[in-house]
Amino acid sequence: MGTFDYILMGIQAVFQGPALFSILGVSISVTLVMIFGGFLTGIAVGATPGLAGPVAMAIALPILISVFGYTPDALLPVMGFLIGIMKGATIGGAVPAILFNTPGTPDAFMTTLDGYPMTKRGKAKKALRVAHFASASGDTFSDIVLIICAPFLALMVEAYLDLPEKTALLILSLSFIATVIGGSAAKGLISTGLGLLAAYIGTGEDFYPRLSMGQPALSQGFPIATAVLGVLIIGAVLKELEDLWRRKRDSGTLPEHRDKGDQRLRGADVRRLLPYIGRSALIGTAIGALPGIGSTLAATLGYTVGKSRYARKKRPDAPEFGQGAAEGIAATEAANSSVSGANLIPVLSLGIPGNAAAVFLILAAESIGGFNPGPSVFRFTTDSVNPELVVAFGLFTAMMIANLLNWTVGGLFMRSMGVMIRIPKHVLLPSVLLLTLTAIYVQETRIEAIWFALGFGVLGYLMRAVAISPLPFVIAFILGGKLEENARQAFAATGGDPWFLFTNPGAAILMAMALAVIILTSRKQKDPA
Amino acid sequence: MANLPRSNLVLGLLTLAFAVLLLFVWIPMDTQTGLMEKVRRQVVIGDALAPTVAALFLILGGGLLAVVERNAENQPRMSLRGLGFTAILMTIVFVGLLVMRHAGPLSVWIVNAVQGGELEYRLLRDTAPWKYIGFFLGGTFLISGVISLVEGRVTGRTVLVAILAVVVMIFIYDVPFDDLLLPPNGDV
Amino acid sequence: MKRIFKAGIAALGAVVVATSAFAADWTPPGPIKLMIGFKAGGGADTQARLIAEELEARMGWKFIPEQVTGKGGLNLANALKGQPNDGTAIGLVVTETLGYNMAAANAGMTPDDFTGLTTTAGFQMGVVARTDKGWATFDDMIAAAKAGQDVRFGAMSPKLADLAYLLGKAQGVDFNIVNVKGGKGVMNGVNAGDLDVGFMAGIQTKGVAAGDLVNLASALSVPLVQTPEAPTFGDLGVEFSADGYFVFIGPAGMPDDARAALSNAISSVVSDDSTKAGGLIKKAFGGPAAISGDALTELLANDYASAGALLDAASE
Repeated sequence: MGTFDYILMGIQAVFQGPALFSILGVSISVTLVMIFGGFLTGIAVGATPGLAGPVAMAIALPILISVFGYTPDALLPVMGFLIGIMKGATIGGAVPAILFNTPGTPDAFMTTLDGYPMTKRGKAKKALRVAHFASASGDTFSDIVLIICAPFLALMVEAYLDLPEKTALLILSLSFIATVIGGSAAKGLISTGLGLLAAYIGTGEDFYPRLSMGQPALSQGFPIATAVLGVLIIGAVLKELEDLWRRKRDSGTLPEHRDKGDQRLRGADVRRLLPYIGRSALIGTAIGALPGIGSTLAATLGYTVGKSRYARKKRPDAPEFGQGAAEGIAATEAANSSVSGANLIPVLSLGIPGNAAAVFLILAAESIGGFNPGPSVFRFTTDSVNPELVVAFGLFTAMMIANLLNWTVGGLFMRSMGVMIRIPKHVLLPSVLLLTLTAIYVQETRIEAIWFALGFGVLGYLMRAVAISPLPFVIAFILGGKLEENARQAFAATGGDPWFLFTNPGAAILMAMALAVIILTSRKQKDPA
Repeated sequence: MANLPRSNLVLGLLTLAFAVLLLFVWIPMDTQTGLMEKVRRQVVIGDALAPTVAALFLILGGGLLAVVERNAENQPRMSLRGLGFTAILMTIVFVGLLVMRHAGPLSVWIVNAVQGGELEYRLLRDTAPWKYIGFFLGGTFLISGVISLVEGRVTGRTVLVAILAVVVMIFIYDVPFDDLLLPPNGDV
Repeated sequence: MKRIFKAGIAALGAVVVATSAFAADWTPPGPIKLMIGFKAGGGADTQARLIAEELEARMGWKFIPEQVTGKGGLNLANALKGQPNDGTAIGLVVTETLGYNMAAANAGMTPDDFTGLTTTAGFQMGVVARTDKGWATFDDMIAAAKAGQDVRFGAMSPKLADLAYLLGKAQGVDFNIVNVKGGKGVMNGVNAGDLDVGFMAGIQTKGVAAGDLVNLASALSVPLVQTPEAPTFGDLGVEFSADGYFVFIGPAGMPDDARAALSNAISSVVSDDSTKAGGLIKKAFGGPAAISGDALTELLANDYASAGALLDAASE
């Protein structure tokens, strides 16, 4: 079993899995169909204001699991669907941003700046084509980086990091996520602290479930789905409903703009856009590889860098950035799309999720079993097959297939999604609320899970109300158990050395970096730029 | 509670208070093994250590917020009206879930009272139409209640939309699968 | 024919009861809640789901599987205890849950609060190291430890940690005992070099066959099927063992017809290696071990009673 054999087996696992049907004698595997289905779903939800990729993933997950069961064969179809959603939502988010000045997903906000002015000038179709081209390029680039980097990073971690260093690495990641996501280091730390606390309720090594206040309902701890879906999705729904109620549905009539002139994307356009796309893709990939920094920052940076280049290079008669420059759309979309692939580097190689999509991939892996994202996945065993590695290469294959779909039919579907804006949010959101609760219940089958999810929903709502980002909470909740387990093991393995995080040089360096991250970010915020 | 741009200070102090409570009351009283314990002649990490680390994150965050970021720009304002709206919304959700939980067993009880049967909801929880009663009534109440709250009026159209949404959900989560249970059928 | 005969025998045990209940006549009054005390996707979880699937096909019963994990099966025991005892709620745990864990946790439960249905399979619990560690036998490891090398010993339950401690004590060495979640965790730790050696309950079979891993000792009272030459814990001076089984249980006081029907149905599935469930048990756990009825009740009671001795020995 060489590396090449594993790659081949991963590809085969996608194409030759159980066949769903056959076209002209060629059987189409169920994984392929799921990737395609997820991709279309993703475009649709991305294009619907008020919905985003995570909502669709949350609702789809229990359905997918009951269709495919709790067997390792379920991993690729289920995760393929989620990857499809992730990719589809990225391009879908640009549709309402360009057509109606309403970003479909938060990271599409910068796309409105040039996209909507182009629509007003009658160049809507062209703007959509630019967005699609930039997004697909950035995404593909990022995936290639992921596929090359993740296995090497994992191998290095396995080869050089012992239990104390692994513990220190988790602490560094948490400090980084806490202080960098959202605008405020202090609020990020609070969010992280709450997430850790929630992970530690009802768990622990002793037979008494700690911090459970004697309540049997808490003795199993909070199921991961209740915390993740509660804070991320129910919290968002509650906040959006409040905002809607305040604005009293001032939606009014949708503006109509008629397309004029040439809408095609010409070779000359592509040549003009490529430098912007290239720069933004690099920025987005670099940012995505660090856990926790979202696509919004990447979009902002990509746009800013693009803007300064544009100021030097543009033709005098071309529109400025913000007035409907195609380069502005390209810079933004390439940057935010190239985050998604690279964001999976820390998940697959270290088991540390960096964004909401990665959180859902972990949730799927946890629920199905048989695949534990982390360095042990990339063990290239030679005598026997490491099934997790086959799944990993299967996932890479799924991502490339999704990219292929994106290049071929993605643009067409994307341009037909303008209608999604007509779905009234105040009808959609309560249904999403019940759907999410139902999705949690069918997986956990106990009513406490619904109460927990609502409790976490209220927490997520309050956090949003005081501008605390909920993402550190979710990531800390997922990593909390792992952190404690690693620390306990490192402590026991070193024979009870209380300074195990500092006596070993590797761990000491990582701890010093963690401290530096906290100090630097909180000082930066003292004098706002 | 914090209509002035001092919300960071208030939030920071609240967080600190909670962390202190956690550190000195909740953790010591509700964990069994302390920060460290000795078992089998080996010192190991106890169950109280990890929550203590969580509390330290809260103290660090709360402290930074109250001291360093006290005068930061863009401090959110919380509106009591917004909180009130969400409280009413949660009440509707809560009532909807109560209906969902109890409508099925209640209807079995009524049928027994009328026909004198010996039916038991627990044994019928996987049998149509019984298994849908709670989810249908509770879900319809929940969705139409929340829509009406946002719209500020109740219309027949809203109820129809809610019914449609709940029926779609039944077709998504229950009809195609034998081993999935809609709420509340796993508990009864 | 044989099944009906066996069921008849089981029912005869309850002749005191006025109704002559025959297990073959019993059908569950509603869907059966099947609680699984193991993480989704692992061997134990798959076993439970496959058994349920086969029973649905054979008997026409309806199962609703549900994960109730954590605290060494005690969470499941707690949840199951309060369920109706008419055969509509059962759970899969390990005998350790009702033995050592219940005794150690002081959770206010004893095996008397449950009805044992049947065991399905035992563990092939070995003390396993990576081959390239250079330890060909158990003695090599002890020699290394005596030469001053720290030995990290992975254990996936408190009982096993106690056993590892007693093993070290009997051999005159101190292991650094590391608690790890699940057999998969031990295997990953050993493979990554984070652990030197650890308990594995059957998951090591493939690796040992491929030559990557080596069974240094059997933690059972009998030799391992795969490596019969490895010494047992008894040979190594430990008077306790990790003998244990997967076991289906129900709440206390389950009527005899229900108990007999459920245990017969389950044991006939696990003993038939042409079924998916039986095949898995043969492959992963070294073959079926179906103990039921009074023998099982006695086994559970003994495990619980003798747990105190192990606890005492390990706290000296």
